[in-house]
Amino acid sequence: MRLPLLFVACSACLLATSAWAADRALSVTIYADNLALVQDRRDIDVKEGRQRIEFQDVSGQIRPETVSLAAANISIIEQNFDFDLLTPAKLMEKAVGQEITIVRVNPATGAETREQAQVLATNGGVVLQIGQRIEVLRDDGLPVRVIFSKVPDNLRARPTLSVSIIGARAGTRRATLSYLTPGLGWKADYVALYNESDSKIDVQGWVTLTNSSGTAYDNAQTLLVAGSPSQADGGAVNNYRPPPRRSTLQVPGTESGNRERLGDYYLYPLAERTTIANLQTKQVSFLDVHGVPAQHGYEFRNRWLGTAETPVSAKSIYSFSTSAHAGLGDQLPAGILRFYMRDKRGDPQFIGESRIDHTPMGSTLSLATGDAFDVKVHAVVEKRTRIATFDWQTDMRYELTNALPRSVVVKLRQEGLWGDSSIKAESQKSTRSSAEAAEWAVTVPANGKATLTASFETRY
Amino acid sequence: MRATPRVCAMLGLVIGATSQAASVLAAEILAEPPSDLIVTVYRAPYRSSGSISLNDLGGFALVTETRIVRLPAGTSRLRFEGVADGIEPASAIITGFAGGVIEKNRDARLLSPAALVAATLGKPVELLRTIRKTGKTERLAGTLLSDAGGGVVLKTEQGIEALRCSGLPETFSFEPVSGLSARPTLSVEVRSPRAETRQVTLSYLSRGFDWAADYTATLSDDGKSFDLGAWVTLANSNGVGFPSAHTQVVAGRINHEDGEVDPIDIGGPILAQCWPRGSTSDMPMVLRFERGSSIGSMKATARMPAAAPAMLESVAAKANRVTQEQLGDLKLYRVPERTTLASRQSKQVRLMDRFSIPVNTVYGADVDVEEDDAGSTPAHRLLRTKNTAANHLGLPLPSGSVAVFGAVGGQRLLEHESDLRDTAADEEVEINMGESPDVQVTANKEKVSVDRAPDMLPLVPGVSLRSVKIGAANRVAISNARAGGIEFELRLQLEAGARVVRADHALGAKNGRPIFFLHVPANETVTVRYQIQHTVDRILRTP
Repeated sequence: MRLPLLFVACSACLLATSAWAADRALSVTIYADNLALVQDRRDIDVKEGRQRIEFQDVSGQIRPETVSLAAANISIIEQNFDFDLLTPAKLMEKAVGQEITIVRVNPATGAETREQAQVLATNGGVVLQIGQRIEVLRDDGLPVRVIFSKVPDNLRARPTLSVSIIGARAGTRRATLSYLTPGLGWKADYVALYNESDSKIDVQGWVTLTNSSGTAYDNAQTLLVAGSPSQADGGAVNNYRPPPRRSTLQVPGTESGNRERLGDYYLYPLAERTTIANLQTKQVSFLDVHGVPAQHGYEFRNRWLGTAETPVSAKSIYSFSTSAHAGLGDQLPAGILRFYMRDKRGDPQFIGESRIDHTPMGSTLSLATGDAFDVKVHAVVEKRTRIATFDWQTDMRYELTNALPRSVVVKLRQEGLWGDSSIKAESQKSTRSSAEAAEWAVTVPANGKATLTASFETRY
Repeated sequence: MRATPRVCAMLGLVIGATSQAASVLAAEILAEPPSDLIVTVYRAPYRSSGSISLNDLGGFALVTETRIVRLPAGTSRLRFEGVADGIEPASAIITGFAGGVIEKNRDARLLSPAALVAATLGKPVELLRTIRKTGKTERLAGTLLSDAGGGVVLKTEQGIEALRCSGLPETFSFEPVSGLSARPTLSVEVRSPRAETRQVTLSYLSRGFDWAADYTATLSDDGKSFDLGAWVTLANSNGVGFPSAHTQVVAGRINHEDGEVDPIDIGGPILAQCWPRGSTSDMPMVLRFERGSSIGSMKATARMPAAAPAMLESVAAKANRVTQEQLGDLKLYRVPERTTLASRQSKQVRLMDRFSIPVNTVYGADVDVEEDDAGSTPAHRLLRTKNTAANHLGLPLPSGSVAVFGAVGGQRLLEHESDLRDTAADEEVEINMGESPDVQVTANKEKVSVDRAPDMLPLVPGVSLRSVKIGAANRVAISNARAGGIEFELRLQLEAGARVVRADHALGAKNGRPIFFLHVPANETVTVRYQIQHTVDRILRTP
């Protein structure tokens, strides 16, 4: 029954592990799409010959296949990623055939009795051999402590990365461990304060990084990449196409900034080393611009030649430039821009937000913050007649109302002009921004109304 | 209501003091509780009408706090305790520092028994073991080896042991841990040129709020006018209250993305799972193989705190009405006095009271002309008025619910409840009063054929076949069992290209649809007959 105990020498790993506490320099490069490259430079003590080095404090979500270790005068034999975790049940399971110490505690007196026992099996319950007798552990429910002499080698509290190496010569040297990990990501968040009196905005930009990788990155040099390299294994084909969002980019810019680039991606290095704790949301400022001219307007889009039962609010639109002159003067990484405006007491109040995509410098952005309470459009199909088999005439009437004490201009956009569509008659001149849509700029007087009519001929 | 944050503030101090020693970089400072609070509540962006549900508050709020901070010279980490649970950390703005803000952080690792064990992993810990009979407690110094898979393994000078597997009362006594807070905490790292006391402003968006307008319309005895009163009902499902706050609500739909909630580790108890504990009296178990825990399973799932049934508090004072002001393209309603918006509370403040608003009662029905025999359906009753100053209104009406009361023998009774959308000044207001069984609409087709076919030439392939057909006469009977005459609007739903070409009543149009405006006298039936012309085109194909 007795099995010889196999003690695997672990002096190497203990020695190496203790050496890891030494001087360490972390650098973390975070991509926009939940992916980060971690470069971990530390001094390691290497003996001559074969040894195993364990790496603690690596990301809990490390992709072990991407790990690489570089140091002078070593050659790597193999890399292992152990995820057999140390639990009481595992501890007992690995002790099958081995000696443990049991301490019986007398419930009446508290007196302890120590005995040596051999674990025979752990299937459903723990069966022990004590001397020549067989017992089930705590079968009677009385307190019995179990003491193990050691922890089996490959059981760990957390999944652990280890590398077996051969050292050419002994000594301390700088090693760089690098790997990819999900669980770290970033996006941009913008705060724009709109001043109604002079139509200017102050814009602050923050990068927001989140860490749910299960590990803290202490005092790390951090670099953010505005882009996401395609991941070979993370690309499930998504056939669902969401309805087209209102494009925020009106005119794509053609200016180049002086920010650093990696390929076609812009880089945002953080000025100071920072600690990214686990489950932390961290924000660092990267943009602070004051007094940028901005325009406020209204936009209404009718998706097809149809009738609405009730008037529909126009969208409240703010537009501004990211150009170096009379603009933000920077390219904007994708994120959410939140608009604020001061109320009568002077307190800033939130008035809506809009998502923006990666925006080159020199672009014109047009962002919808929400619905205008007082500016509404009621689109009505007055008449629809068939001219020929595939030829229809649709007479549209748009009633625009404005309950504000000032006149407003509404950009009215009729979409859904598929096929060979033309405007036969209209009460105001339209512009055709594309074959698919016609646009009018309709002035609605203060506390008043305006009516626009148009007659469309559509052939398909 | 503010007791919980204060407790956690003390906790934070204890933890902060210990981590101060550990961290060489920044001194840890705790901001004082807010000295001034502004709460602006926005309604759920997806709800265009109707009232709020206390179980699911889909709106949000902008919370602005003024706090005093005492900064030492140099870099310090400033903690703001007691912010709302539903905080969206990316929206936080902090102003009022002389030097720059280096970074803002929101830590979601909360102080919990499980988090304490995780933080003590590999570190010294004291095991307390008590003998029940003698009451004697044994204190054993040890090291925590693992908390994986819900079981705890530790090492003492006697050997390796598992927590709470012996049947003896066992627990840990931990050394102080840094970086864990009682609730999600916002902190900023700031640099101050000198030691000073500053007033800073922290503002952030937080979920778990909502508001709506709740109108009550009381019809006069003759039904020709009504009085309209309204409450602003706002609610907070956060675990944090806002005492003595400037409170306002904003009307209008604004863009606000739901987005992902940033991860929060709610924490949990210390799970002390043991080895198999089956005894000789247990039934045999099926052997199961445990799979290795997958990597990356440590992701925390974020949860919003469940809204407890909120108490309903009414501020019934006619004078204490909200004041309205324009905020960009939105309407801001200000509660005139400071008020306390407690945690898990709904609150009502008077929005408006208007009297003797003239109103028309209109009955109506939509008839689909293509349907052959729709049978009898009850008509809809509508209260219609215009939101103008002449009608004693002429003010923005934020969306919400309307309860309409009528008087029966001097007693006020609820007639109907319906919803109201955002209505600007000078817009038409329609309040749906539900179905009226006394007014029935019966639509069917008469067998009347109109044959006007002249002598025709033969059809050859390729010619265009256009047939202009006038269908059978449609007949709609509107019966009125009420004691008074009613105004009735019969709206026709036509398919594209169809039009009404014959009728025995005058035809009007509304929203591009043909409509008959009818008067149906008391206890009578009015029948409308009309005919539709369809245009159908075909190409005759070569055989």
